[in-house]
Amino acid sequence: MDYNICFAGAAGDGIKEAGVITAKIFSKLGYHSFIYQEYQSLIRGGHNASIVRVSDKKVRTHRYYYDLLICLEDYIYKIHERRVKGEVIYDAKFQCKGLAVPMTEFVREEHEPLIFRNAVAIGVLAFLFGIDFEIVKKTFFDEYRDKAEADIILARDGFEYAKDNFEKIDEVEKIGEEREVYSGNEAVAIGMLKAGLKNYYAYPMTPTSPILHFLVKRDDVIALQAESEISAIMMAIGSAYAGNKAATASSGGGFALMTESISLAGMAEIPIMVVLGQRSAPSTGMATYTAQEDLYFALNPAHGEFPLIVASPFSIEDAFLLSATLLNLSWKYQTPSILLSEKHLLESYETVEFSDIRNEEIEIVRESKGIFKRYEITDSGVSPYAVPPAIVKANSNEHDEFGITTDKAEIAEKMYAKRMRKEEMIEREVRNLEPYFIYGRGEETIVTWGSNFGAVAEVADELGFKVIVIRFLRPLIIPNIKDNSICVECNYKGLLARIIEKEKGILLKKILRWDGRPFTPDELKERIKN
Amino acid sequence: MKSIKTTWCPGCGNFGILRAFINVIEKLNKEGIEKGKIVVSSGIGCHGKISDYLDLPSFHVIHGRVLPFLTGLKLANPELKAVGFVGDGDQYNEGIEHLIHAAKRNVDLALFVHNNGVFGLTTGQMTATTPRGKKTRSTPKGNPEYPINPLLLALSSGATFIARGYAGDMKQLEELMYDAIKHIGFAIVDILQPCVSFNNTWEFYNKNVEKLEKEASDIKEAIDIILSEKIYTGIIYRIRKDTFEESLGILKY
Repeated sequence: MDYNICFAGAAGDGIKEAGVITAKIFSKLGYHSFIYQEYQSLIRGGHNASIVRVSDKKVRTHRYYYDLLICLEDYIYKIHERRVKGEVIYDAKFQCKGLAVPMTEFVREEHEPLIFRNAVAIGVLAFLFGIDFEIVKKTFFDEYRDKAEADIILARDGFEYAKDNFEKIDEVEKIGEEREVYSGNEAVAIGMLKAGLKNYYAYPMTPTSPILHFLVKRDDVIALQAESEISAIMMAIGSAYAGNKAATASSGGGFALMTESISLAGMAEIPIMVVLGQRSAPSTGMATYTAQEDLYFALNPAHGEFPLIVASPFSIEDAFLLSATLLNLSWKYQTPSILLSEKHLLESYETVEFSDIRNEEIEIVRESKGIFKRYEITDSGVSPYAVPPAIVKANSNEHDEFGITTDKAEIAEKMYAKRMRKEEMIEREVRNLEPYFIYGRGEETIVTWGSNFGAVAEVADELGFKVIVIRFLRPLIIPNIKDNSICVECNYKGLLARIIEKEKGILLKKILRWDGRPFTPDELKERIKN
Repeated sequence: MKSIKTTWCPGCGNFGILRAFINVIEKLNKEGIEKGKIVVSSGIGCHGKISDYLDLPSFHVIHGRVLPFLTGLKLANPELKAVGFVGDGDQYNEGIEHLIHAAKRNVDLALFVHNNGVFGLTTGQMTATTPRGKKTRSTPKGNPEYPINPLLLALSSGATFIARGYAGDMKQLEELMYDAIKHIGFAIVDILQPCVSFNNTWEFYNKNVEKLEKEASDIKEAIDIILSEKIYTGIIYRIRKDTFEESLGILKY
């Protein structure tokens, strides 16, 4: 069983929510799901789509062609027409090909706003797939609790209408225990909490705002909206200096504002984690569309040399794992880390099973007689971490072992080298943390990074490729890759491909796109064949 | 403590600020507040070196960013006393957004502004408080801009303790600093600080500063004092409002 279902409508039609509810209905029956959310940077009107793929096997990507389109606006249909290879459900308020459902009429009868048409559509969908209405009811209730009533009434209207007028497409049975559906942003937030996150600060920006929205609801973390990205990262540095695990997130534009503070964290050896959710650039670009254009920016975000850890998750489950890992690593090596991801991974949803990872607490000194030697020169480069009320002096200037400003050449030489020595330790550790992931087997190889993995893996399964997905980008540890292998990325120049080519002295075939859309297996297969 | 040689110019107003603060620390110590619980942060500029000269926990951060640093510090450990030392270029130019927002939140901290009306360490360019018409290295024909009024800005942003001090009156400054630290909420002391090398105002301030006899009883009176032709020093206005920490429910006083 494998269906690709698209909800399409205007902003304000509840398209995104309909996608999530649908995935959760199927997940209650034990199915896997993946949701791609496409939306424009506007609040009302325009065009939103939520593509839900459900399957009895693990799915990591949506498909290009739809088995079912649920269309809520007439002008939207044209955008999707060429992708429809199955049935269309539409609101009977307009003319279209397929199954007309009087969605607007039902909503008006209940005196609810038009956004509730999505509930009617979900009711119809449930009937078409032979899903027990109780499952629909429970899903709405789990999601909206005491606010679920109107949704349930309207979903029942849709369900009953479909029962009276349409034939079922399938009889979907329960195949296993309920699965959990999370977005990439939620996975990042949960991962950071697992690693002991205590303070989180951010300024709103697509695609990472949902991390803030998720964390502000919780009582086990202080999460706040700062006045700017500069403020957000400086607050994180303040909290980390005081001994709490802290993080921030943004996209390219906001990340640009943070860079001076990233250098500060490198110099003062303050552990902070920054989530960089890439989106189409340069500048404001296409604010709600995906990209992988900031690789070099993330690798070299700020002035001066300092140890920096950069990693990019290849799935939502990996986003959970890597965000926890990076926060732990930052503290272990007292240096900033960057979780480099992209809109497609962070705002998509998937059924996931989170692996086990723990909060690796480091020893923190909390008292001192006189000024603490916070920057003691050690062989490893890692000095004891101390926080007030220990007298601990941190400094953006080059400093001695006590944190006092210096411009003496002999002290500067030693202190700079002490910081840089941490890079060697970090590299040794990362080698054991699966710096890259190898999937499948085949004579030929596809290399990729980030969320492309979903589509790449599916094509590789079908065509018989081996996939190498790079997770850690700094330090970068690349396995042997054959000349003429394929590299798939969402940017114009093949940013990762160029690094690999240089390092390994090989040439790669680059399959690239920079139109803000993620690869689907269907499109990728075409590109590989040609 | 380690003996650190100061690198300020002889006659710099910073000496008075440092001395007054050291006296305040001693006083707080005697009251039982241990040194490790008074955390200092300074920005970039001549004033920023003060972190090195104090045997307290400190963070000499980057230009303009003392306030978000201290806000993050307080949100991780609200029991610490947070003290910011900033310059006029540091806070009123590069870090102006943070002044407004930290005041608006009423974070419980004390902010001491070394306001000398000039960029000293970069050898004499104009700042946000440089008077109009003043010739500086970056305004050789005279400053074409009007200066901002930092205390009016702080007041309108919601600061709950507003004072002006003078580096030439250590005794009063010490009292102001002490009261600012003791105040529960966002406290700002704008300290008039002569820069002997680039904006020597000793004579001018000695002649023109006047102690305020009575602090304002309401915000309108505070505005009048701040806008007055006379350069008043002292506590201009204070009011007790819920701090950010209280509003977030992470600390009760």
